[in-house]
Amino acid sequence: MARRAPLEGVRVADFTWVVAGPVTTRILADQGAEVIKIERKVAGSDALGPRRTGLQGDINRAKRSVAINMAAPQGIELARRLVAKSDIVIDNFSARVMRQWEMDYASLVKVKPDIICISMSGFGHTGPRTDYVSYGPTLQALAGFTLLMANRRAEPAGYGYSYADMAAGYTGALATLFALWHRDKTGCGQFIDLSQFESLIAVIGPALLDISVNGRRQDPPRARSQEGPAAPHGVYRCRPLGEDDDRWLALSVRTHGEWQGFVRAIGSPAWTAQPKFATLFLRMRNADELDARIEQWTCEQDAAQAMQLLQREGVPAGLVANGADLCARNAQLNARGFWMPVTLPDGRTFRVTGIPFKLSDAPPPAARCAPEIGDDNDYVLGEMLGLTRSEREALVGAGAIWP
Amino acid sequence: MSALSGLRILDLTDLRGALCGRLFADMGADVIMVEPPAGADSRRVGPFFDDQPHPNRSLFFWFYNLNKRSLTLDLSHARGAELLRALAGSADVLIESFTPGRMEQIGLGWEKLHRLNPGLILCSITPFGHSGPWRDYKADDLVLSGLGGMTYVNGFPGEAPVRPLGLQAYHSGAYYGAIGTMCALMARERDGAGQRVDLSILEATASAVEHVAPGYMSAGVVEQRRGTLHWTRYFRVGRCRDGYVMHCTLGDWTSLVEWVAADSAAQELLAPQWEDVSYRKEHAERLFDILDEWVKPYARPELLARAQALRIPYASVRAPEELFDDEQLLSRGFFVEVEHPELGRKFRYPGAPYLFSATPGKVHRRPPLLGEHTVEILCAELGLSPDELAALAGKRVI
Repeated sequence: MARRAPLEGVRVADFTWVVAGPVTTRILADQGAEVIKIERKVAGSDALGPRRTGLQGDINRAKRSVAINMAAPQGIELARRLVAKSDIVIDNFSARVMRQWEMDYASLVKVKPDIICISMSGFGHTGPRTDYVSYGPTLQALAGFTLLMANRRAEPAGYGYSYADMAAGYTGALATLFALWHRDKTGCGQFIDLSQFESLIAVIGPALLDISVNGRRQDPPRARSQEGPAAPHGVYRCRPLGEDDDRWLALSVRTHGEWQGFVRAIGSPAWTAQPKFATLFLRMRNADELDARIEQWTCEQDAAQAMQLLQREGVPAGLVANGADLCARNAQLNARGFWMPVTLPDGRTFRVTGIPFKLSDAPPPAARCAPEIGDDNDYVLGEMLGLTRSEREALVGAGAIWP
Repeated sequence: MSALSGLRILDLTDLRGALCGRLFADMGADVIMVEPPAGADSRRVGPFFDDQPHPNRSLFFWFYNLNKRSLTLDLSHARGAELLRALAGSADVLIESFTPGRMEQIGLGWEKLHRLNPGLILCSITPFGHSGPWRDYKADDLVLSGLGGMTYVNGFPGEAPVRPLGLQAYHSGAYYGAIGTMCALMARERDGAGQRVDLSILEATASAVEHVAPGYMSAGVVEQRRGTLHWTRYFRVGRCRDGYVMHCTLGDWTSLVEWVAADSAAQELLAPQWEDVSYRKEHAERLFDILDEWVKPYARPELLARAQALRIPYASVRAPEELFDDEQLLSRGFFVEVEHPELGRKFRYPGAPYLFSATPGKVHRRPPLLGEHTVEILCAELGLSPDELAALAGKRVI
């Protein structure tokens, strides 16, 4: 028997923008929370791309939008009335913005005593760098990711995208759920001061202890395994797929059984029987030669077929997926219905990033497409806040809301 | 007061799920990690304290198991599984990362656990999830970050893709596993019923990539590697006097141009078309070439301080060693001192990335020694007698 969605009945006043904050509220919206984006509707509001498709469409599905002007005193008053009917307030501005509007926790707790406020600023609300400006890539540079994600010539490459936003996004959602749990148990809300910078550092992992405990300088890991010894271990070039000559296979061999499986999968060529490759220790010592031998084989293979061949022999292997592999050719993601269809107003379907866990006893995930700015003015201002049509028109005239 | 006080979690994960339990433990849940008598595999993963391999000296283990207790139990032994079921009877959550089917095999299948404790939540963290054609495939973090789209887009065109630093497929899986578990707990508050959380690390990885799927799903675009040029074309790495910096052409453009012009570096940028953000995006390569020339004589700290004073979001490209001297992190108490009395030392650990005003997270215990809490849990909490304990030890169940 499927029950209600876990967060049904929870309302979020969502002041977030760009990517990190909206990822947090996407996670909450997917679980049934009513997420209401409070947004500006001015020239340039579309600078982040179209709203219903692309990245904006992906991260804002299942949310509502109201166009309130926070630069107008009556706009702030409306936002406070909305907060009075909400459980959670989330922003990812720098620390001073919400304070300036008197929308910080100290002010809002007077409007709603058990409110939970979570602010996801770049560097946090305290400390000497609290006013520093940042984006995902600049945080990745400061945290050490850019330098240590290097190529063979030790040139920094880093992420081609803003992993920092994704990490802050899932961290923010978890923090919100912790606070919500505590409120449901005790009746007490609170303020969560989340630093996007710290969210990113918190996921670097054991390398930080190697620095603080052993005093060891960290080198780029490149092909070295970060979870115990492995050889072969790395990404290997594969045969072109049609015109596409950028095909790669990721491969990890740790146990003797996996090595034997690997040897069988590639047809037991004579070189694999050489004593210098007989043990993990020796394979690691002779890794350069081993890798060259393996790439001779992978270069003749289709990446997806090589993965199947190796997996049949119990060897951890997978293709290095590009957008088409991930979205159109991944049998596993398709079988689990990971990519979630949303219907656009013109009837077309846009598939968005799904939910990475399945709850055995919850309604199947489904989402509305992302709203254009102000799409839910009627619902929020009329139905929720009880403003009459003439009151709303007066607020439009006063510049407090955008029609 | 802790946010999660009173919540009891049995943590049967090893390498790939261990961060999930730590996230709960840091917020005050009682997390019992259940490991085989020989110790969890993660205790054998380096680096090690002073480079001496030992089950109690793995920094890898330390990082993932701070604030947890350790109970040794051989779950493949019938009596071990029975004790685990007794513990599950009063737990809120069980997190495991076994190969699909293994829990049923050892008598810990969902049906059995659910009958025993209808409120229990079972969170399974596996590479591909408990259904689908790849269910039984094997994968580590390297393979999963590749399959999930996290690797292909990093690095230089024509060269091998660059994998993430740290185990980001596992870490994404751990966070989303914790999120799923909290959702199941919230649902349980209504009617008392527990449920299963089937977390796929592949899916968590795909959820932690920003632009690849939206680009393909909207326009069939297959995103490529572009060196250090960010996919939005507003960021690129440049080389300065003492290392590298991250350029950013968002933010206060006028201030940046005035600064560059005052250095007599690139009068070209004074041309009005550069004021248009979409022009900057379109001509990003040329723009960053100009800015590369400009930053050459600067040292990183000076450039960072001056840029930030003008509210230009530049950053220096730093080594992680520099984090331990970062004034902002120090001021916020991000690193926490953890005492290891048996070593007579204190070490700095990265702490939680959020400050809760009413229920701050804290370190209440260092990572557990192998089996450190076995007696306390089995005798004081499950009521076993010393004789029974000795018998179990004799059979190597504990």
